[in-house]
Amino acid sequence: MRDPSRMYRWLLLVASTVTIVYLVGAAVRENYLAQWRTVQNEYRNILREKATDDRGRELLAKFRMEMKQASIPALGTVDRCVTCHNGVDDPRMTDVPQPHRTHPGHILDKHPVDRFGCTVCHHGQGAAMTFNEAKAEDVFWDYPLLPAELTESTCLTCHDAEKLPPDQIPLLTAGMKLYREKSCGSCHKLGGRGGALGPSLDNEGAKTKHQLIMANLKPPHTTWAWQDAHFLDPGGVVPDSMMRNPTVTRQESLALTAYMLSQWNRDIPESYLAPDKIEQKYRALHPVPLTGEQVYRQYCTACHGNGTYTRWDKKFKRFIPAIRGASLISTASAEYLQSNIEQGRPGTQMPPWALHAGGLLPEEIKGVIEYLRAGAPAVPAATALTLHGDAGNGLSLFLRNCAGCHGMNGRGGLAPEIGNPVFQRTANDEFIVGTIRNGRTGTAMPAFQRKDAPTFTDQNIADVLAYLRTLREPSGQKAMAQNATSGTPPGGKP
Amino acid sequence: MAETATQEFRRNLGELPEAVKDSCFRLGKEPESEREESQATFHNLFLHIHSVRVHVRTLKPTLTFGLGLAATSGFLITLVTGVLLMVYYKPSTDLAYQSIKDIHFTVSTGRFIRNIHRWSAQLMVLVVLLHMARVFFTASYKKPREFNWLVGLGLLVITLALSFTGYLLPWDQLAYWAITIGSNIANSPRELTDAVGITKFFDPGGFQKRLLLGANYVGQDALIRFYVLHVFVLPLALVTLLGVHFWRVRKDGGLAKPEDAPGGLAEWGGERRPVFQPLATKTYGLMALVKGQRPPVNRGPENTVMSWPHLFWAELSVFMVTVAVTLILAFYSDAPLKELANAAIPENPAKAPWYFLGLQELVSYSAFMGGMLIPMIVLIGLALIPFLDRRPGGEGTWFGTSQERSVFWQSLFFSCAVTVGMLAFTVNYGWLRNWFPNIHQLWIIAINPGSLFVLIFAAWSLFILKRKDSVRLAAVSLFTCFLVGFTLLTYFATVHRGPNWHFYWWPSQWPVH
Repeated sequence: MRDPSRMYRWLLLVASTVTIVYLVGAAVRENYLAQWRTVQNEYRNILREKATDDRGRELLAKFRMEMKQASIPALGTVDRCVTCHNGVDDPRMTDVPQPHRTHPGHILDKHPVDRFGCTVCHHGQGAAMTFNEAKAEDVFWDYPLLPAELTESTCLTCHDAEKLPPDQIPLLTAGMKLYREKSCGSCHKLGGRGGALGPSLDNEGAKTKHQLIMANLKPPHTTWAWQDAHFLDPGGVVPDSMMRNPTVTRQESLALTAYMLSQWNRDIPESYLAPDKIEQKYRALHPVPLTGEQVYRQYCTACHGNGTYTRWDKKFKRFIPAIRGASLISTASAEYLQSNIEQGRPGTQMPPWALHAGGLLPEEIKGVIEYLRAGAPAVPAATALTLHGDAGNGLSLFLRNCAGCHGMNGRGGLAPEIGNPVFQRTANDEFIVGTIRNGRTGTAMPAFQRKDAPTFTDQNIADVLAYLRTLREPSGQKAMAQNATSGTPPGGKP
Repeated sequence: MAETATQEFRRNLGELPEAVKDSCFRLGKEPESEREESQATFHNLFLHIHSVRVHVRTLKPTLTFGLGLAATSGFLITLVTGVLLMVYYKPSTDLAYQSIKDIHFTVSTGRFIRNIHRWSAQLMVLVVLLHMARVFFTASYKKPREFNWLVGLGLLVITLALSFTGYLLPWDQLAYWAITIGSNIANSPRELTDAVGITKFFDPGGFQKRLLLGANYVGQDALIRFYVLHVFVLPLALVTLLGVHFWRVRKDGGLAKPEDAPGGLAEWGGERRPVFQPLATKTYGLMALVKGQRPPVNRGPENTVMSWPHLFWAELSVFMVTVAVTLILAFYSDAPLKELANAAIPENPAKAPWYFLGLQELVSYSAFMGGMLIPMIVLIGLALIPFLDRRPGGEGTWFGTSQERSVFWQSLFFSCAVTVGMLAFTVNYGWLRNWFPNIHQLWIIAINPGSLFVLIFAAWSLFILKRKDSVRLAAVSLFTCFLVGFTLLTYFATVHRGPNWHFYWWPSQWPVH
């Protein structure tokens, strides 16, 4: 029999050797081969080259090879970026390669690293000690390093974009303008103002990549790559997106991306906020009303266009009415327009715009109604109808002449939903009669009492009106709702 | 001339190193005789748990593969690295994540130490499971080792609990959602109480979950609970049970060996080693009273070798191999640390730690059955093995009794086929809820792939019991089925379950977010 422990002694020797090798290897790798040591070595050589005067020699003598960090408890950050970016505040380092170079511009004059750190502006993983982990695009970190051209978006954390010099924040300035021009507010809320169709954008910049659909995007999967691709082709990034293609150029899409990234209500101590930011918060509580035209351009045009023509919307699957069209404006009362704007049209894509919902001030709604009215010449009010209608006959007339577009029970199809409760409540008899008589120019709604070839008599119109008013009753509403759930649009597909 | 006190003091001062060495290492030199080797063993607190001589079978590597010792080694490694990590870790939801980042980035070799801690913990879970399988298949739970099997089962549970509580501490997304899943498994009795409609009056699931988390959600209370359990309560319980476990191994006569293990003296190097001479003055009578049998006196120790140095070489080598394997893994593979825990962004799929993924797969069929009943059935079943299979035979030998090996292979193939078949069926055709959408939840709790696994495996074991007329063979078949089921379900849930717990061939096919 052989020595029973001989094999174990060999095993012990091998295992111990491996252990020692890996312990030493790890100690060397973690302590001496760290990336930042190489970088600081390079930097010391640069310092040596530049130590031509007393100041330079003093800086060289003061330089220590060590981890450096800016710890900012008020912002909850510990940024070790300066361990490698040693030259950020040394004005002589403009001609050396990164990471030793001086910080561009004069930003550090007012934002010293020891008070602000780095990540509050640049994002990225401040605690990291290697570039790849600091950049944090491929590692687990919520806010990777922003590309240089998008860094301006974080200025709005502490500043009011309106008060910053536009040449300092070119993308944001353009983005803000585009946001208004493209009428993004028609569907999206920002600061409590805007439509309800799309998601609110108030904290869009705080989103992480996990909150966005990346399936149709090529890597790298960053939030700005998503925003950029999404502005160029919303449906291509988010299937079934209702968002209309904003038709922007590449540069414009980048500007909008910067603007979206800037939307982040971060909890920053007040001592860090610029005075104009505090003023901006105050102004948000006491808004100055926009003019009617401004409101229309910012909050209506995405759907209604310039408002003079009716448009079939493929995504909404319905006609969007010409709200500045002459025939509407001439028949609709101010109350009718006001309540439709304030309360929206339930069941359609038209959201409510009153202060508590869409954030428009009463003055602004008044202003926008004036603006709508200004789009068309005033037409004498329609003569009132004094006849009494027969709802039964009205129904048969409705089925033959109206249901094709307005749907069974007025549920809507190609044409507006005239069973809609807001419509029923706010459209007065004169408005309905006037519309039936004269039609709506610029839309498919014909005039039923044309001078040369009248389809309806006054009695017919009275009958139809009587029928329409039955839709206001609970039973009519129920019938309409049932139609809605049965799933077949009575108007059929176009 | 008599030595003065001053001279004595100076002489003592001169001999100080030698005197200190002698007092620490009482033998003072390499043991030369077997008597001294015995002394080296039983005069040392840490070694005296060993007997002075061990059977040569003990040193045969293929008998145990050193698994129990490797598990202990893993525990020692986690203990040392864990203390180092405790120095920097801050158990607060605000600070925990940043403190792990600091350990990772700035603490000297902190990342490496955290990797070692993580890998040795994972290895420990794996090795403990393998150790249990070894003990079972060598029938080493039989009389008088029944109690130690129970202690071992307790150690398994504590090991899992240690690993599970450690999972939460980094306070990252992985931790947060794994523990959310885990605490929902604790909540699973609610599926039954909901189905019966008595949750309002009797809610053991909610109680368990709140007991675990200290709240209804994973937050600061849960973190501090898990921390206290992880660094204090559970290690203390583990060390205590480990002491009992070792002590019982010794009291039960070392490693299990067959009755007819060949006797005689161990020989090597052409030399017949002398047998120790029992002291004539020593009486063994009391031992006989206590143990009911007399230790062999004046008889050559049967095929034994001295523990010092042979057993200790073996033990030390197993320890060092464990250390080396852990270091290699830790050197090349970093312990994961995802984004900061965020209750607003659920991980999809949110997966429990790997050793609970088999359970999570069962939970996906029925929370109560998979999270509560089946684990209890398995634990109780494992605990009862030594009390239901009491016929001696096969101890200390792999597949020791006749037909064991063939029953093992039959059960392996049978349970593989059943598990794979059932998983494939479930993935392709769904289950009761897909076929009868309005069925009462009680039906699903009662009849689901998990409960069918238990039934089929139990039936197979009964079939073996009848057909082979052997309790041991029935136990072998059931234990094999359990091992295969555990392994395959764990593998399946790890690799083939993706977002929304849907089936995917590979994780690379998962949709991005």
